[in-house]
Amino acid sequence: MTQEAQTSAVPVLAASDVSKRFGSVVALQHIDFEVYPGEIVALIGDNGAGKSTLIKILSGTLAPDSGTLLMNGKPVKFASPRDAREAGIETVYQDLALAPDLDVPANLFLGRELRRAGILGMFDMLDVRAMRTRAQSHLDTLGVKIKSIDQRVDTLSGGQRQSVAVSRSVFWGRDVVIMDEPTAALSVAQSALVIELIKRVRAGGTPVVLISHNLPHVFEAADRMIVLRHGSRVGSLDPKTATMEQAVSLMTGALAATDLRAAAAGEADDRG
Amino acid sequence: MSQLVTGAPAERRAPGRFQLGWDVALRLGLLSIVIILAIVFTLTAPGFLSAQNLENNERQMAVIGILAIGETFVIITAGIDLSVGSMLGFSGILAALALGHGMPIPLAIVGVLVIATLLGLFSGVLIDTASLPPFIVTLGMLGILRGFTQIFGNGQQIAFGNSPFTDFAANNFLGIPQLFWVLVVIALVAAYLLHCTRRGRHVFAIGSNLEGARRAGINVRAMTFLVYGVSALLAGIAGVLLTARQAQGDPNAGTGYELDAIAAAVLGGASLFGARGSILGTFLGVLLVQILTNGLNLLNFDPQVARIAEGALLILFVYIDHWRKRRLATA
Ligand SMILES: Nc1ncnc2c1ncn2[C@@H]1O[C@H](COP(=O)(O)OP(=O)(O)OP(=O)(O)O)[C@@H](O)[C@H]1O
Ligand SMILES: [Mg+2]
Repeated sequence: MTQEAQTSAVPVLAASDVSKRFGSVVALQHIDFEVYPGEIVALIGDNGAGKSTLIKILSGTLAPDSGTLLMNGKPVKFASPRDAREAGIETVYQDLALAPDLDVPANLFLGRELRRAGILGMFDMLDVRAMRTRAQSHLDTLGVKIKSIDQRVDTLSGGQRQSVAVSRSVFWGRDVVIMDEPTAALSVAQSALVIELIKRVRAGGTPVVLISHNLPHVFEAADRMIVLRHGSRVGSLDPKTATMEQAVSLMTGALAATDLRAAAAGEADDRG
Repeated sequence: MSQLVTGAPAERRAPGRFQLGWDVALRLGLLSIVIILAIVFTLTAPGFLSAQNLENNERQMAVIGILAIGETFVIITAGIDLSVGSMLGFSGILAALALGHGMPIPLAIVGVLVIATLLGLFSGVLIDTASLPPFIVTLGMLGILRGFTQIFGNGQQIAFGNSPFTDFAANNFLGIPQLFWVLVVIALVAAYLLHCTRRGRHVFAIGSNLEGARRAGINVRAMTFLVYGVSALLAGIAGVLLTARQAQGDPNAGTGYELDAIAAAVLGGASLFGARGSILGTFLGVLLVQILTNGLNLLNFDPQVARIAEGALLILFVYIDHWRKRRLATA
């Protein structure tokens, strides 16, 4: 849990002065955001605060109106989700993106299936066995237990399915894994399973951006929390010292904008 | 924690088993129906096993089978191609006209197949890029292509003289009609593409979760073009082969064949909800449709009886598939 040395390191992924509007709706204004190596950073805020919009920009689904993205200190531009994925950023979307009729290895390798070596590969032939072996060992490493990975995904429980989605993002996300509400619609037990998995991802060295409305989860898993409100960053909190009341009042605007880390003090209360 | 992890799948084992058992049961059930029908017709229908009748069946099955294979690709993406019968008639007439005007056989065939494929790609464009429902696009194509077929054929049969072209359809290889060998080769290639390649896997992924496939980096647009292009290409091949077999172009050829193609695929386990189906299943489905039609015919039933049976079976199987889907959702 204890992660230090973030302040000195260069962020793996950062957004600088990013703004985005949809017509007259200001979804994000002058947002700075950063993920340091090996941390879980939580993005919290009320419905419509701009969390999904921000991670869509980070994952190449949306282009910002202004501002820049930086990977390891260098400016990058993502024209599509594919660009972001190739740069090493994987996203678990709020609504699952698994193919329910396919089995677990097929889902882990979806869109990036392994081909057989040599001439058979030239004929686009799948290497089913290699994918199966690698899927199994990857799930074992992450401690995801599924009776048989040959099961179709729609026969798994919600938590297992979410675990498969998270495992897939970790498998391919070399640099950052972004998760938009990975525990939404899960039971307490199943959420605990996914939170454990996210912690194991961090233990493996991959930083995670976590969006969640579930503050106990956030306080349990995150190393840092960034609070959005009406499209602005109104503060960042350290879950070890902050209280849930502080987080809630920042999210709702009851507390004046404070940045407990002294960086970028917010300019809350502008409405789009 | 580990209690939780291992506990969850146990509760869920039932639907998993149900799923796996379902596929096997379906395939075996279909196979046994085919065998039972074949036995019944052998015993009751005069001439069912005669060499002549078998060859006729194999030739007819080749045409329907090639259509149904194309249809299978489309149905697995959760789409539908209602234009295959018209595409068959259209390609057949074009081939007859081209040959009648003295075009060399290879050129005529390639030309017709290119045109058919381009039309299929056009359907794919309307479906993917213009986001129109496949049902509407291909129903429109059904009308458009049939209309052009009638105009080109002037409502009449088009003769083009005998040639190696018609010989090909008349001759056998190793005692089996060459047309049937064409079906076998196409089925093998299709089975490889669908079940063993990355693109085949993408066809299933699109039928399972279109948006998920897109987010996973699958080129959904290209794959949509591809499946409708393949369906049209195969319908084109079937049309050319039927013209060769009949030694003339018939503007009514292929009318209603979309029912045969869709019924064969669905009886063979393809799901209109997408992500299910196989070439082997479709092959068995074609076999069932063909045996049923031929047997009833030999037993002097009105030919429409086979049609009625086919339509009823199609609805029954889609109903069963729907029930499976519901049961899975509530399991
Ligand atoms: N495609 C869009 N077109 C127009 N407005 C949009 C679009 N996407 C988001 N918005 C608006 O931008 C604002 C931020 O939305 P966003 O989805 O980022 O919120 P969120 O913090 O993820 O909320 P939630 O917690 O409900 O998921 C909202 O006012 C929303 O209505
Ligand atoms: Mg959201």
